[in-house]
Amino acid sequence: MFSFSSSPLLRSALIGALAAGLSACELVEYSPNDHRAPADQKDLTAKNLARLAATPLPPGDSLRFVFTGDSQRFYDQGEDLVRSVNQQPGIQFMLVSGDISDFGLGREMQWVDNELRRLKVPYLTVIGNHDQVANGREAYQEIFGPLNYSFVFGDTKFVLVDTNSREYNFNGRVPDVPWLRGQLADPNGARRTVVVSHVPPQDNDFDPTLRADYAAALRETPNLVFEMNGHRHDYSVGQPFDDGVTYVNSYSFEKRNYLVVTVWGDKQFRLKQISF
Amino acid sequence: MAASLLLAALLSAAAPSAAPWPNGPDPSDSVRVATETLATTGPAAPAPARTMRYQPRHLLLQTGGGLGMLSVGGGLSFAHRHLDVDGLLGYVPAEHAGTALTIASVKLKYAPWELPLGSKLALQPLAVGVYGSYTFGLRNPGKPDQYPNDYYWFSRTMRYGPVLGSSLSYALPAAASGRARRLTTYYELATNDLYAISYYQNHRALSLPDIATLALGLKLEF
Repeated sequence: MFSFSSSPLLRSALIGALAAGLSACELVEYSPNDHRAPADQKDLTAKNLARLAATPLPPGDSLRFVFTGDSQRFYDQGEDLVRSVNQQPGIQFMLVSGDISDFGLGREMQWVDNELRRLKVPYLTVIGNHDQVANGREAYQEIFGPLNYSFVFGDTKFVLVDTNSREYNFNGRVPDVPWLRGQLADPNGARRTVVVSHVPPQDNDFDPTLRADYAAALRETPNLVFEMNGHRHDYSVGQPFDDGVTYVNSYSFEKRNYLVVTVWGDKQFRLKQISF
Repeated sequence: MAASLLLAALLSAAAPSAAPWPNGPDPSDSVRVATETLATTGPAAPAPARTMRYQPRHLLLQTGGGLGMLSVGGGLSFAHRHLDVDGLLGYVPAEHAGTALTIASVKLKYAPWELPLGSKLALQPLAVGVYGSYTFGLRNPGKPDQYPNDYYWFSRTMRYGPVLGSSLSYALPAAASGRARRLTTYYELATNDLYAISYYQNHRALSLPDIATLALGLKLEF
């Protein structure tokens, strides 16, 4: 019907696009902010949690996961990261501390998933500020899932919370501290808790009116191992509020390093840095 | 490498199209030149004022290409219909983008060749061009003072990029004025600035099909 059949170059480009897994429907992109995605790239959080639940961790076993973040516009590095993580023994899952995309576009989130779905283990994400640019928040919810959620794996409850206050123009409701307090109050049978968010509370992009309350919620959680953040694109570990709460920041994909995190006992942990 | 050359070629391809048409307007061009005054003025009279009236030469209906689920518009043709300047207004319902989007765009398209296929059909095997668009209705385009300066270097609302396509035209009965009318179906492969920079920096992980979008459209020339 259409005249592309007369042009071998165009025809092969089009067929290539189709072969790459984009159905004609998604290729006909309504807008870069259009978040339609193939069925297997929707609700990735729920799908990865289901995969994780299929390989439960026996009580008492050490928890071991990869911690990274800020994949953004670093797709080539993502490919190398996957290759490296797949060679690590005893890894149970990977955690990405937000900024999956750079421009908040659904296709970017699909590109990152195109790499990360090659991991031998499931991966889980928390939303970052770049994922909320333009209509990114809707794209993230469509492709990954809820902005605030929690899950229990083995002896540990993970609480993942949207702390990208600046993207809401500091409306005083993000992060949702009451929701966080509710999550921290109920360990769901787990022995310890880990909180994961993109923007660390000591950062300028965190709502200053909620900072004290948020930090207090963590401080008042005796079984908290640490809070894990991204946003700063570099590794750090410390107690910025000098209140006994440890904050660990991830490398970005660009830094070609990640952390292997091992947690055991009540709240003992070890961070091992891996270059790739 | 070949791909970035292709993109560069697409971007530069619009340049020659800015040149004026070599042979002056003909009945198929969008410009109607009032020459009737020549008959009533003698050779000694001052040169007649050439009044040029632009009018839409075609209407467009399109889906995709990053310019709307449905976009409508019109355009002018120049250079014996080889060069089109189009304006489109597109719409994306909230179910596909989170909020309802309205996208205004301008497109410049140059099709150097036209191959007749029988008496009624003609094929334009290649068209290259550029477009720019502005999106209204985004959830978080950034408010004044929301971000420190240069927090995000890119625009959330303005996109631009190259297009490449071809089209097939079917001749309709000519208008009473003698102007040729025809219906054209076209497709365009396109990308945008943000996809292009992502691809440019990630040749291993991303491919051209990853960053391609497809538009399908109808053009009525009248």
